[in-house]
Amino acid sequence: MSTLMKRLPKFEYLGPQSLAEVCGMIAGTTRDEVLLLAGGTDAILQMRRRERTPRRVVGLKGVAELDFVRGQDDGGLAFGAMTTLQTLVASPLVGQRHELLQAAAAQIGGNELRNVATVGGNIAGALPCADMSPALMTLGAKIKLVSERGERWLALEEFFPEFGRTLALEDEVLAEISVPKPAANSAGAYLKFHDRHSMDMTIVGVAAFVSWDSESRTFAEIRLAYANGAPTVFRAHRAEALLRGQALSEEGLEAVAETACAESSPRTSWRANGEYRLELIRALTKRAIRQAWEKAVRSKAVTSKETSR
Amino acid sequence: MSTLVAVTLQINGVRHDIEIQPWRTLLEVLRETLGMTGTKRSCGEGQCGTCTVLIDGQAVNSCMYLAIEAQGKAIATIEGPPEGDAALQQIQRSFVAKGAVQCGFCTPGMVVATQALLSHNPDPCEDEIREALVGHLCRCTGYVQIVEAIQDAASQLANKGGE
Repeated sequence: MSTLMKRLPKFEYLGPQSLAEVCGMIAGTTRDEVLLLAGGTDAILQMRRRERTPRRVVGLKGVAELDFVRGQDDGGLAFGAMTTLQTLVASPLVGQRHELLQAAAAQIGGNELRNVATVGGNIAGALPCADMSPALMTLGAKIKLVSERGERWLALEEFFPEFGRTLALEDEVLAEISVPKPAANSAGAYLKFHDRHSMDMTIVGVAAFVSWDSESRTFAEIRLAYANGAPTVFRAHRAEALLRGQALSEEGLEAVAETACAESSPRTSWRANGEYRLELIRALTKRAIRQAWEKAVRSKAVTSKETSR
Repeated sequence: MSTLVAVTLQINGVRHDIEIQPWRTLLEVLRETLGMTGTKRSCGEGQCGTCTVLIDGQAVNSCMYLAIEAQGKAIATIEGPPEGDAALQQIQRSFVAKGAVQCGFCTPGMVVATQALLSHNPDPCEDEIREALVGHLCRCTGYVQIVEAIQDAASQLANKGGE
């Protein structure tokens, strides 16, 4: 029977209403036994393909306290793991503080998918093709894991030790994502290469976030992160370091792109072979940095015009 | 079988008390348990949009949504409410009038997605229409007539609203 006609594997379903209930339900269980179901747009397909056959599914859609977007007093942003991609795209607050997140979310699927898929699901699924993780990593996002034992915060860039795995323990649930206030004159870009302008898996995704030092006209900060550049989403620290404190130059971009390729280890699959992905990483890295730089410089121009008025 | 769970679904304004297995998708329950076959099954992975229904007014792929998780929400399908729905009917008339239907398999999903689009944005431009339908495939029409049908439905509904 083809995949599309297949029923989901049998499971028992639990629909908790609070985070405390979720923690109680997963305490003392194993990952193979229990699946935490967020939006389900990946997990349901994985179950249909029998890649995951949990005995029990804990659905998170009813946990209202995990669905919020909140501005922090320090100018940062926090949102719940069950915030849908559509909520992010439509949130004026997110647009004001971190437009890069909207740019990444808007490139995922179509309305039907974004209305259901969640940020937390995109992260916790730990797939290398996740689009939110690279954007969030370049913004310095932290994530909150909660269990009956308490809560802890981790840097998102440390969350993926290997393909398909996270550092969350079996009794922990990803509850919240927090992003610090953006630096002055900063901007980001997320460039994603895929075949069809909807629903298609990312072949390569490049997030670049830069802040511009208007005095020295150099990169005060630059961060790069990649989807499908390796078995996990990752930050390219060595490549970033080449441009920090430097001005934008063609040679600089070439060197960064080269180093980013050296830090990557993309796989060959039916979607694209590894060499092709490296070519994409090379091209999109340069393009993403340039776009982010131009936006950051423009944001400075806009701010100074506003203050001179 | 003891695996059956009692659920209540509110579909097109009508309450359905049914017993289902918790691993059934909303699409399976609509088509197989309730016999509402207007919503189509095609790719089973969110690529094609034929299984689109509205949940609390938002378009979703019912093939990737557990029926048990649709409890307590307002589900709307291509069948529409028993008393009829002016917007839904106008969109269907416009699809017919503009030749946006050939084999018709993608049409229910397109129409339901259009309903969601026009409820949020009564006067969409062509780019907004194409963006809203990006998750829908049509192998027959080439999309031009579908865009025209949606523009027609938007203007017809605007005229009616102004009367």
